[in-house]
Amino acid sequence: MKSILLLATAFLSLTTAVIFAQERNQGQTFEALRRRLDTDLDGRISESEFPRGKAAFRRLDRDRDGYLTAADFADPKARPSGGTAVAARAATPEETEFFEKSVRPVLANNCFSCHSDNANKLKAGLKVDSLAALLAGGVSGAAIVPGDADASLLIQAVRYTDSELQMPPKKQLDEGAVKNLERWVAMGAPWPGAVVVDAPDAPAGAMKPTKTPIDFEKAREFWAFRPPVRTEPAATKNTQWAWSTIDRFLMGAMEKAGVTPVGDADKRTWLRRVTFDLTGLPPTPEEISAFEADRSPQAFETIVDRLLASPAYGERWGRHWLDVARYAESSGKDTNVVYPQAWRYRDWVIAAFNADKPYDQLLKEQLAGDLMSASDDDTRAANLIATGYLAIGSKSHNTRDKRQFSLDVADEQIDAVSQGMLGLTIACARCHDHKFDPIPTEDYYALAGIFLSTETQFGTRTGPGNNNPSSLITLPAGAHVPNGPSMDPTVRKLLERTRDRFARTAEGGMDAPRTGDTVADKKRPDPVDQQRLRVARQQVAIFDDLLSRFDESGRALATNRLAMGVTEGKPRDIAVLDRGELDKPGAVAPRAMPQVLRTQTTPPITRGSGRAELADWIASSSNPLTARVWANRVWLHLFGSGIVRTPQNFGASGQRPEHPELLDWLATELVAQGWSTKKLVREIVLSHAYRLDSIDNERNARIDPAVKTLWRMPDRRLEAEAIRDAILAVSGTLQTDIPPGSTAGIIEGRVDRDETVNYITRERPVRSVYLPSLREHLPDALDVFDAPDSAFVTSDREATNVATQALFLMNDVDVMQIADAFAARLLAREGKDSDRIHYAFELALGRKPSFTEVSAVRSFLEDFETLNAKNKKTADPRRDRRPGRGDAPGLGGTGVLPTLDPTRAAWSAFVQTLFQSAEFRSLG
Amino acid sequence: MTMFNDSERFGFAPSRRDTLKLLSCGFGMLALRGLCAADAQDLVSDPLAPKKPHLLARAKRVIFLCMNGAPSHVDTFDYKPALAEHDGQTLSGYRQGAKLMASPWKFSQKGKSGLWMSELFPELAKHADELCLLRGMHTAVPAHAQATIQQHTGSFQFVRPSLGAWTMYGLGTTNRNLPGFVTLNPPSGNGGAQNYGSGFLPAPYQGMRVALARGGAANRRGAAPESVANIKNTRLTTEEQRAQLDLLQKLNKEHARRDSGDAQVEGVIESYELAFRMQAELPGLLDLSKEKKATLDAYGIGGGETDAFGRQCLTARHLAAAGVRFIEVGMGGWDHHRNLREELPQRCQAIDKPIAALLADLKQSGMLDETLVIWGGEFGRTPYAQNGDGRDHNNRGFTTWMAGGGVKGGFSYGATDENGIEAVEGRMSINDWHATILHLVGLDHERLTYNYAGRDFRLTDVSGTVATDILS
Repeated sequence: MKSILLLATAFLSLTTAVIFAQERNQGQTFEALRRRLDTDLDGRISESEFPRGKAAFRRLDRDRDGYLTAADFADPKARPSGGTAVAARAATPEETEFFEKSVRPVLANNCFSCHSDNANKLKAGLKVDSLAALLAGGVSGAAIVPGDADASLLIQAVRYTDSELQMPPKKQLDEGAVKNLERWVAMGAPWPGAVVVDAPDAPAGAMKPTKTPIDFEKAREFWAFRPPVRTEPAATKNTQWAWSTIDRFLMGAMEKAGVTPVGDADKRTWLRRVTFDLTGLPPTPEEISAFEADRSPQAFETIVDRLLASPAYGERWGRHWLDVARYAESSGKDTNVVYPQAWRYRDWVIAAFNADKPYDQLLKEQLAGDLMSASDDDTRAANLIATGYLAIGSKSHNTRDKRQFSLDVADEQIDAVSQGMLGLTIACARCHDHKFDPIPTEDYYALAGIFLSTETQFGTRTGPGNNNPSSLITLPAGAHVPNGPSMDPTVRKLLERTRDRFARTAEGGMDAPRTGDTVADKKRPDPVDQQRLRVARQQVAIFDDLLSRFDESGRALATNRLAMGVTEGKPRDIAVLDRGELDKPGAVAPRAMPQVLRTQTTPPITRGSGRAELADWIASSSNPLTARVWANRVWLHLFGSGIVRTPQNFGASGQRPEHPELLDWLATELVAQGWSTKKLVREIVLSHAYRLDSIDNERNARIDPAVKTLWRMPDRRLEAEAIRDAILAVSGTLQTDIPPGSTAGIIEGRVDRDETVNYITRERPVRSVYLPSLREHLPDALDVFDAPDSAFVTSDREATNVATQALFLMNDVDVMQIADAFAARLLAREGKDSDRIHYAFELALGRKPSFTEVSAVRSFLEDFETLNAKNKKTADPRRDRRPGRGDAPGLGGTGVLPTLDPTRAAWSAFVQTLFQSAEFRSLG
Repeated sequence: MTMFNDSERFGFAPSRRDTLKLLSCGFGMLALRGLCAADAQDLVSDPLAPKKPHLLARAKRVIFLCMNGAPSHVDTFDYKPALAEHDGQTLSGYRQGAKLMASPWKFSQKGKSGLWMSELFPELAKHADELCLLRGMHTAVPAHAQATIQQHTGSFQFVRPSLGAWTMYGLGTTNRNLPGFVTLNPPSGNGGAQNYGSGFLPAPYQGMRVALARGGAANRRGAAPESVANIKNTRLTTEEQRAQLDLLQKLNKEHARRDSGDAQVEGVIESYELAFRMQAELPGLLDLSKEKKATLDAYGIGGGETDAFGRQCLTARHLAAAGVRFIEVGMGGWDHHRNLREELPQRCQAIDKPIAALLADLKQSGMLDETLVIWGGEFGRTPYAQNGDGRDHNNRGFTTWMAGGGVKGGFSYGATDENGIEAVEGRMSINDWHATILHLVGLDHERLTYNYAGRDFRLTDVSGTVATDILS
């Protein structure tokens, strides 16, 4: 067996080396051709990739397999005949002695510094420190052909006869050393203890030293790769506390740890908790009193069902998914190009959560909605928009190499899907086998093949900083989808004027010579001017495209019914790239699911890209990860941390579940309930665990300081969106209707100009989920409170309390305006000041103020009013009241503050402290 | 516990009961308990607390003078006599028909060390003995955006934390009245905020953007000449705002008393006090109006080419003296594809005097020894001409320099080939450069890791070698 492998190896390297030796002078090696022409990265050249016509292609395709491969370039005469071929083989004792004395020292002393594992910088990808490495060769192909010194590149190089191939570069070897190398190769290159090379069917140049194969059977024993097992919780001593299965599991954990649950939260605290958790908004004072008055046994269920049915639920839980989906409306990275149709995906997500679309279905539509059958245009449109999930990732549009760009897009998709849906970090295996998990590079490229067989339609046009445009998906004509946001007529006029300016340039207003031009330069067209013309033409095209989608008054037309998403491309398998580098392709990896997760039920890829199979395989109850990962995310959003505390990494380097049986129960329950997220949420928030107070307990805290057993409700900081929405809601200024599209929807091109950014991000008092989400340019109000930039999948947001947040809530002009509105709302109420103070606390914090608080506020109002009145008298009228340049609009105000009378000023300053308070941003 | 010392400021003295409660199971204890717990990382609320460096820190802070657009090395710091001889010759193996272009500027040896520099930096040349030229620099991609991002984050391909953020993560900050990482006038393109972002590191490590006056246009738009987002309240007086914050802190403490489980309160309280102090301190540091005329003149402030960069350099010096850990100063306009003869001298002039003044100022105040000053663009330019009077992008060889804390002065390390195209000796990749910078501030680039998505990440990924030859 070993000798067959060795023979195959020798044969394969032989063929390439011979071609290389023969054809090198004509510059037509297969390797050179492949590097230039193999645009789809499958390691071979197809007819469509070949530029010189069918006839030439057929002539070269000797084996008539429809592809040019290394085999087609082999010289048949050079093939070893029968069993007489001289092959690399194990060394005899004499050969060993010769090698160690006369060959290895030559290689070590003259070559290893650039061509070995110890090289400072490996040159030409070639190592000569093992037989395998010599046979694998570098960028020019195999370095030796065992048995044929003349055909061996290594020998040609050391002979110094070819001016372009001379090694070592600085000093020619002496004649004796060259002779010894020739002799060694001629005797079949015996290398003592040589390693057998694997992958007998790999093309030449792709061979790697044998690596320890992954024992997948053993790997499948890891907890996360085993199917969830539903068990009943063990009996507990305390039989009174638990209300549900979830509680019984937790009580078991608490008894085991030796902690006891704290008491229940009061009704108001629970109501504030559940209202924020389910809708991202605070309960109104009216809702609080109605709940307090409801003494029925169903009072809690009534609240939960009302909240789940509220459209605000989808805005809250849709946003959770948008974090996972790394949703944004621009490319980020180097040139940050706008994605004007991204919002359609956002709205789809919100609607899907409101409709409680089964989670498996939710995943399937995002991965392969375009491949699913649809009974009508509306469903079809929704399915297409869902695939926007794959298109909205960050991208380097500036990349010049198209293949590099496609690989990077596929990489981003693998990263998003694997971390987001599977809780695995598969993208780690792009350059090398995964360091911790049983995921070899082959598995990565097997998935990459699926995404490279897919056309990602992200839109955008060629322009400065964008070398990688694509089309968009035209939505079915019969679908009831909005045309999109309107363009302000003045903006339209401005765009038209800008377009015309570029058009004038494009039409050649550029001929005036400039300083520095010499007569000689003018003979040829100035490349800089040409560049300017090209840019101007590109800009005109961008503007024309944009303007054609809006009518004169700025209303979006039906031509704007376009969506980001994916469609099927040419199905193909791609080669494993060594170290992820484009010019180091190895064996082709057939498209497939990662081996460790393959079972009998894993669908084989038989048609198209394989996305449909991928979707079926991920969104399946037999996938051990999918339901667990989602159940864990749901838990995370209700208790502040997941049962697995690394929600996007269930692998070996992630954390183990705190309560594995509970996680499995939740996962199986999710599936049993038809993958309904709402039912899972309902089950959790009606548990006793979710009802607990958040109060500390010294004894418990000594045993379980991280509250892993949930002996109390952990305190959480509200997310950026909830803080901003709450500020608007309590002041009575929140607009709850869904705005049409996104303000980013009327822009094309890069977002590197402050003016563009300011225009797009000028905030409206809508819910935060609807604010434009440009990478690198999040609205201040969200940015300071750790909203994700969506450069990658986010599962567990930061929850910092830092000075920039304080500065924002202290000084932002819009925050102060909202406080003014809140103050006005209070002052408009009949009654005493103490009643108003009560109402302010009820609105902002969901509770009545304490006596201490009321008196503190009263004395503040009094003192502040006096102080303010005094300051007004002495105020310098020239005092600068303009906002600073760094003060980007925060919450939807005009950026100009009115001057208030001392009373209003005092009330405004007071209610602003409610926004600022630790309690406002905290969920107890 | 600052709050107890500040009872006057907060307007109420905690009762004995309150104090006991806070001490026994209040937030102070929670934080302490967090430190002891296995999950300390989750519970510790102050990511910016000063940390002990891995190594002996040669520099306490960094001032990075970032030259956006890529200055030509063969016209400034990389003396190539052979290039002058080869002027006009065609170059095989490079761009078709490319002709080598001698530097239009004279080079001569400067200082006691005899460092070769071009005549474009007459003022900086006076500090030649402080400069450590790195002439063997190279980077991966000859495109501005990617190279700028790589220069700042180590990777042009993925979104990663910036050099300043890693420095903050490794060292924390000493002056709690100020941000620890400040970037002055960062460009909004070429990666924008990514260049001072925190990537997957916690958000407090990201740089704070400070917009300084860039000349007439910004002022005409009616903006304040210097600004940090929300650094100033446009309605309330300081006294009024203090009264407001006193009420706020009372409410916060009341909340802490009621909800003893909320470990965040202490962090929130402190964040407001820091913000309030920052408001008081930062504008003062940005205010150059109280500087002596001699200082302003030295930096070239007061109009002309040097004004904008002079302001940035003087501001950087103020921030450095006040304890800011990492300060980036930006200057664009180096992308000389044409009009090199006219425009390069203008650019050099704009920075020459300010940088010389900065070095002199740091030296005079004894700070230079513990401040690492770095100058560099994202790559260099080709020795061959473009458009007759310009140079194209060159990522294969270029020069940056360092001065101050821990580096040899009057020293040149590494070299490009005879024409200045490719780095051939003392080659320094961006990873090597980052490894060296971290080393100088006391951080071992192989030990400065952060676990994200199941892997320990480094600024230098899997490579990077400290250039020990340049250490003093």
